[in-house]
Amino acid sequence: MGTTLVGFVLRRIAVSILVLVAASFIMYVLAANAGDPLQDLRGSSSPNKDQLIAARVAALDLDVPPVLRWFLWLGGAAQCLVPFGTCDLGLTLSNAPVTTILPAAMLATIQLVSVSFILAIILGVVVGIATALRQYSGFDLSVTFISFFLYSLPSFLVAVLLKEFIAIGFNNFLQSGDGIPLPMILLISAVAGLIWQVLIGGDLRRRLLTFGVSALATGSVLFYISVTGWFQDPGLGFIGVLVLTIAIVYCTVAVASGFANKRALLGGVIAGAIAIIAYFTLQGLFDVSSGGTIALLAVVTVLVGIVIGFAVGGNDRGQNLRVSIIVSVLSAGVVLLDRYMQSWNAYISSPRINGRPIATVGASTPGFQGDFWLQGIDSFTHLLLPTISLLLISFASYTRYARAGLLEVLGQDYIRTARAKGLPERTVIVRHAFRNMLIPIATLVATDVGALLGGAIITERVFAISGMGALFNASLQRIDLNPIMGYFIVIAITAVLFNFLADLAYAALDPRVRVRA
Amino acid sequence: MAITGQRFRRVATLAAIAGASAMVLAACTTSGEEAGGSGDTISIATTNAFTSFNGDTPQSNLDTNGMVGYLTGVSGGLGLGGFLRLDSDFSILKDESFGTYERVSEDPLTVKYTLKDGLKWSDGEPITADDMLFSWAQQSGYYDDATIDPETGEAVSGTQYFSLAGSTTGLDTTSFPEIGDDNLSLTITYDAPFVDWELVNMIGKPAHVIAEQAGVSLEDFTALLNELPAGDPAAPVEPNPTLKAAADFWNTGYDVTSFPEDESLLVSSGPFVVSAFTPESDITLVKNPEYTGDLSPEYDTLIIRFIGDSNAQVTALQNGEVNAIYPQPSADTLEALKAANAITYEGDQVAYDHLDLKQQSGVFADPVVREAFLKTVPRQQILESIVTPVNPSAKVLNSQIFVPANAEYEDAVAASGYDEFAEPDIEGAKALLAGATPTVRILYNTNNPNRVDSFNAIRQSAESAGFVIVDAGSPDWGTLLDGGEYDASIFGWISPGAGSAGLPQIFRTGGGGNYNDYSNPEVDALVDASQVSLDADELSQIKIDIDALTRQDAYGLPLFQLPGLFADNGSIKGLEYFGGQTGIVWNAQDWTIGG
Repeated sequence: MGTTLVGFVLRRIAVSILVLVAASFIMYVLAANAGDPLQDLRGSSSPNKDQLIAARVAALDLDVPPVLRWFLWLGGAAQCLVPFGTCDLGLTLSNAPVTTILPAAMLATIQLVSVSFILAIILGVVVGIATALRQYSGFDLSVTFISFFLYSLPSFLVAVLLKEFIAIGFNNFLQSGDGIPLPMILLISAVAGLIWQVLIGGDLRRRLLTFGVSALATGSVLFYISVTGWFQDPGLGFIGVLVLTIAIVYCTVAVASGFANKRALLGGVIAGAIAIIAYFTLQGLFDVSSGGTIALLAVVTVLVGIVIGFAVGGNDRGQNLRVSIIVSVLSAGVVLLDRYMQSWNAYISSPRINGRPIATVGASTPGFQGDFWLQGIDSFTHLLLPTISLLLISFASYTRYARAGLLEVLGQDYIRTARAKGLPERTVIVRHAFRNMLIPIATLVATDVGALLGGAIITERVFAISGMGALFNASLQRIDLNPIMGYFIVIAITAVLFNFLADLAYAALDPRVRVRA
Repeated sequence: MAITGQRFRRVATLAAIAGASAMVLAACTTSGEEAGGSGDTISIATTNAFTSFNGDTPQSNLDTNGMVGYLTGVSGGLGLGGFLRLDSDFSILKDESFGTYERVSEDPLTVKYTLKDGLKWSDGEPITADDMLFSWAQQSGYYDDATIDPETGEAVSGTQYFSLAGSTTGLDTTSFPEIGDDNLSLTITYDAPFVDWELVNMIGKPAHVIAEQAGVSLEDFTALLNELPAGDPAAPVEPNPTLKAAADFWNTGYDVTSFPEDESLLVSSGPFVVSAFTPESDITLVKNPEYTGDLSPEYDTLIIRFIGDSNAQVTALQNGEVNAIYPQPSADTLEALKAANAITYEGDQVAYDHLDLKQQSGVFADPVVREAFLKTVPRQQILESIVTPVNPSAKVLNSQIFVPANAEYEDAVAASGYDEFAEPDIEGAKALLAGATPTVRILYNTNNPNRVDSFNAIRQSAESAGFVIVDAGSPDWGTLLDGGEYDASIFGWISPGAGSAGLPQIFRTGGGGNYNDYSNPEVDALVDASQVSLDADELSQIKIDIDALTRQDAYGLPLFQLPGLFADNGSIKGLEYFGGQTGIVWNAQDWTIGG
């Protein structure tokens, strides 16, 4: 088994290198023939035009035919394989080494796409499961409609709408200092009520009750927010943290273990209680926190969850561990969220922000200085819109796959067997169906990661974020070959790598799949 | 539950982890920081990113580099930290708070530059004639002994120290300058009169920084410049290692992909100095603490953000993230700006599109056919479809040499009569053709929608007069310009707005930009005379005469100037349109906050 795996890996690596080399050749020749890198100079009326052209030709070896120039490029790129060697991916038209601009572009792209990518998977899978469980209900049909609608929206249009309503509209609302208009509160409450009654379902009486309760709750929260000027100076407060923590404990236990497992419930409650205690005791530490502090606290949070899981013991230790870790992490997130909210007012009243926090361009406010929390809010306000716009589009496909995947699994014999054994529905779904449903999602995730590092060309351009997509776009327009090839290398390697990882993931997820050399 | 020892160990482990974490946490915290930046800030958006602190090299000659150079010193011969800059009508504005220059003799042409006493670079070092000497050495190519192959433009032998985006034309005829007045003045003598002598800005990068980068003291560097003989292409010698190091640094050392660790790259002579730079995102300029001149701004910080998408610039302006924008002009952008209640500033750029006819070969060797073809060009219609939507006050360009912002424009139009071609004269063209149906191949850039529109308008009109038009457009139009497979071409020139050193390129027989083989001995003589003319009125007359001769020879037609567009959201005052290459920042020193 061990040797077959090694053989498999080696063979895959050898094939991958061949694929990369061949693809880079095709890409190089195609890009070289996409236009004229001297175009801007040809229209010049400068007295030393010939010399300028000669300088660029010499700098980029433009006198060598593209097919041969590819070998020159390959020679430089091959040095990247030598450890600690001089990695030479060439220069851009403006004399910048590609090896120095690539990491910055990658970082910007990862910062942009990672949150939307993770959120899209989580939301997509959750919504997909919910729709599959309520197949052909009003909820299912509405989600299907909405996800196809979002999927077919062009991203530049989404971007423009988001900028108009969420950035400019919300900022105007904040600056005016007015409350939320009453008709708006009523409308939002009614919509929220509709969504909840569809989600929870039941007979007419139960639906009406759900609608009434949820609409009333939404309306009163909005009214409270409106009269207290909450958007100017938000916060969850003790009550908010408490309510959210209880909700987290309840939901986590309900999904991950069921209330029959008293020990898991106990673990969840302890984890929640520790989060509430942390909320009171850690505020002083938060005020002087740096990124390192928060990273440490995150590690401590997970450790605390593990310790609680072990401490409560019980028959199903793995399940208890899961519950307490999930509750620890999520409720710590609530405490963190509350702390960010406490800094919000300082952020929006800073002179650089000037009361208009939601940004439409860039990844941060130039020259904005502040502590960890303010910097975090600054990133949030800048990445909010691009993240939503990416999320809305990629979320749709995950919903579809998750729904179809779960429905297919639920129709299988072993699920019927599990139900026949008298297992509770929660166990059937979470334990038996969920894992098998993930297999097609794994393929999708693997291919998406490759596309992900390629950046989102349109989104990056519209939101002026200088990631991989922007780099590729700008370079292609100037027929600047070396950065195009740098871009190509990164996404080609990621694509090959993640396809390989997906193959290994099948083996891990599906016992029927075996890797063979 | 029963194994209490194990439980105890767990609790102990937990306590140990907690204790250790507390210690690490204590080491990993920060004291609180003040929120936000300080002082009055103006943010503007430009389309292209910043790549170099020296915009005068071939690879860095980009508009945003030029803007930063202009604000911090001198770039492309103009700047707030030098002797001169251009006004919105392209006339020269002298900055006497920096220094003065005067023509002390006309024959030979001798110009004396005198710095104001007490000026300092932003790092506190004095600005002296050493800096002017270095600037002269860099701009004149005095020490170069390279022989350039006229075909490829590459050096066949010898050394070319500094690679310039501009050219050494003019200063290459100067002899070694004289330095005087306590090392504050520098006098240069031209061997031949030079028409654009007033556009020579005798200051550039700080000599002390260049010397340090070359590994020598400023004194030694100045001494070296004094000692080194002029380069002689006929007898090339080994390059001087120190000057080579200095030149190499000047050529590429200012190119950056992140905020430079070496702060000497930032040293500025202008009212602004760069304080922060995020690649591909933004650059921040603050007031130069050592600046004592007249061009100091009232605000503290200027942030230039690079936003490639024009619509993103508009929403950023609307959302108050930037105070002013300098987008790619288009009708959509203008409309979006109007909808956002922005204040717009439209005008003409110095770049213009033109139609040129091949003079020597093919169908246009016959001047009558040229004349007939020009009569069919619907210039007003082309202007209205391409430029008017962006700049409603735009007019057809009626000169090959001047733009309407120039004082000579009216006289030139009166002399040349290019304004007769505003509307097509199909009947006149038919009469000239007398029934002939010549075939005309038109070359243009098929990737440029403006050129495609121009081509289609011209084709339609010319065909109605009997011409047979062949679409010779290509995305590779640039490489095809120099060839012969076309009869007429539509493309654009970018002129600096001021100066006359570019004339021989375009109009002289065999000039580097003379793609349509224009050759008229009278024009050649006038062009040669223009390059040595030192009298402004005489020069204007020469250029007007050249313009008129191109009309008589049916050289081609100027079509329109590209429109330019700035906008602000009312939060700053003082913006004014300028069509030159520094764009929106040309009067950044005059802006004030408040609306």
